[in-house]
Amino acid sequence: MIEASGIPTLVIGTAHDIMSKVAPPRAAFVDHPVGRTFGPPNNRQRNESVLAKALAELPKFTRAGEIHDLGCNWSPDGNRAWEDQLRAEMSQDR
Amino acid sequence: MPLEYLPIMAKNSAPKPPRILVSPSKPAWCPITKPVSASRVALLSSAALRLTHQKMFIPREDMSYRRIPSDPEAGEITIDHHSGIGRVPKQDPEIVFPRTALAEFAKRGIVGSLAPFHFSFMGGVRRPQEIENELAPAIANDLQQAQVDLALLVPY
Repeated sequence: MIEASGIPTLVIGTAHDIMSKVAPPRAAFVDHPVGRTFGPPNNRQRNESVLAKALAELPKFTRAGEIHDLGCNWSPDGNRAWEDQLRAEMSQDR
Repeated sequence: MPLEYLPIMAKNSAPKPPRILVSPSKPAWCPITKPVSASRVALLSSAALRLTHQKMFIPREDMSYRRIPSDPEAGEITIDHHSGIGRVPKQDPEIVFPRTALAEFAKRGIVGSLAPFHFSFMGGVRRPQEIENELAPAIANDLQQAQVDLALLVPY
């Protein structure tokens, strides 16, 4: 709707499977837990890093529905232990 | 391999059916004609964010939205969304709504300017037609009035 009104959009999201289904015009994937798109609390440098990568990606979109991976990992070593903790948090979402 | 959220959401919503994901009925594509450094930018968040003195969102089907000043000094932000993931972002809403980072980028000239307001609404509302027919057009109109060139949407 926003895009149809003449304003380009960029979704910056953590849920790759949901973005694949919804297919927004442009989507940037951040491999962080949902609810921490721009990093852990109180880390302005991390906030800026994710935002800068998202903005830098904008000219690279060529058609609707593309999802571009920004290469942002939650843990520097690629550890994915955060997924179990997040599942526990999400189980409270009833 | 990215974490798959849909199976988690389906499991957690039982015995209710999982949320239905809805794409716009009329997909659109608006080309980007300006560099970011010359663009007026607004943030949109589905975290049901507001300034602490603004009217609270009412979970779970609130269809209203809030205009949040883009100036980070304008006041403290709170999150009304009911999601269980909220414990962490409520400590620091900037991790889902990078208002300060965006303002800093505007100061540095990385983005052209900020819209006077950013926008937030309640994510996960199960009223897709009202979202498409009422909520989204109202926000789109505000964005047009503010002559916004680029909207950054951060799902919650």
